[in-house]
Amino acid sequence: MTIMHHPSDATLAAFAAGTLDGARSLVVATHLSLCPACRKAVRTFEHVGGALLDEAAPTGMKPGALERAMAQLGEPEPVARQARPSEENLPAPLSHYELGSWRWIGRGVQWRSVAVDAADGCRVFMLKAAGGTRLPRHRHTDTEWTCVFQGAFRHDLGRFGPGDFDEADDSVEHNPFVEEGAPCICLVVLAGSIELQGWMGKLLQPLIRI
Amino acid sequence: MHDDDGTVIKDDPADWITAIAMREDRAAFAALFAFYAPRIKTMLMRAGASADSGEDIAQETLLTVWRKAAYFDPSRASAAAWIYTIARNIRIDRLRQLQRAKLYALQETIESEEPERPDAALSSTQRADRVRAALGQIPQEQVQVLKLSFFEGRAHGDIAQQLDLPLGTVKSRLRLAMNRLRHLLGDLS
Repeated sequence: MTIMHHPSDATLAAFAAGTLDGARSLVVATHLSLCPACRKAVRTFEHVGGALLDEAAPTGMKPGALERAMAQLGEPEPVARQARPSEENLPAPLSHYELGSWRWIGRGVQWRSVAVDAADGCRVFMLKAAGGTRLPRHRHTDTEWTCVFQGAFRHDLGRFGPGDFDEADDSVEHNPFVEEGAPCICLVVLAGSIELQGWMGKLLQPLIRI
Repeated sequence: MHDDDGTVIKDDPADWITAIAMREDRAAFAALFAFYAPRIKTMLMRAGASADSGEDIAQETLLTVWRKAAYFDPSRASAAAWIYTIARNIRIDRLRQLQRAKLYALQETIESEEPERPDAALSSTQRADRVRAALGQIPQEQVQVLKLSFFEGRAHGDIAQQLDLPLGTVKSRLRLAMNRLRHLLGDLS
């Protein structure tokens, strides 16, 4: 797969520094699981973290800190979290989350929840849109980050196929169109809300629970 | 690498990690602990942790280094970069537990074999030296933003506020730094 659209460097830096909130981290991790170039960029940033750590001034540990650590070296490793078996060949980061069942939310469009208790009001979900579907023109009040796993959609800023990452903010008003053929499946993290445009959008707005 | 008196230490901390992996070498663990635990504590405290919490995360980081030593790949990362990622992941896990979010360090889930191997001829110390030299070639205003982000764990919005800059400027400094680092360090990872 040729990935054309990547997260911005600032976003990759925030991910590498561990300062991105959880919901956004999930969609970035999903992209990274599909994109060797961005994994490499994240590792470059991690080298920076390492260099800063090497140069840091030390802060004294409490007396006996080393002895306490040494006393624990023989202890067995805590049980690792088990990832659930991956379904539908989902990208690895998603396999750690409980997924709801698919529900129709409009003509040709299905939605399923991703159980991320986002503390900051982000909503995380997957969308599946049939080939040839045109989504209502909409804009966002904050940011909408999307990673495609399957199929492709197009809007003003280009074509987004498997692995592509769409980092849309409140300056974007778009009217995505799903390519003919296989349904397009993607992971979406939405901060703020969607404002549908036009009379059709206004009619649909209350029906869309996302 | 330098010790606290500024003397150059000849040992490569990557060798200590390898010694732990090969033969559970406790002396190597003690050496790693002596150098990195106090620095991790500083990093955590700069990021806003209490002294107790910084100490605790430093302890857990070094214990994780012991347990996961066999997974360390010196052809991929310097010892410092690897230990940094472990401390970062533990910090993220703790924060998410506080928020009771069902999330954790996703950074751990994306590691996989890369088809393209980086330059394996470099030692971990050479890598660390290259990174330090690269940081020396970046304008100070960009290094400042990198420090606030990577060492002090501040979100971009907080950095903008602290430096009294527009958010876009913080992001563009990160982008410029990244362009330069890609150019200087592209063969390292």
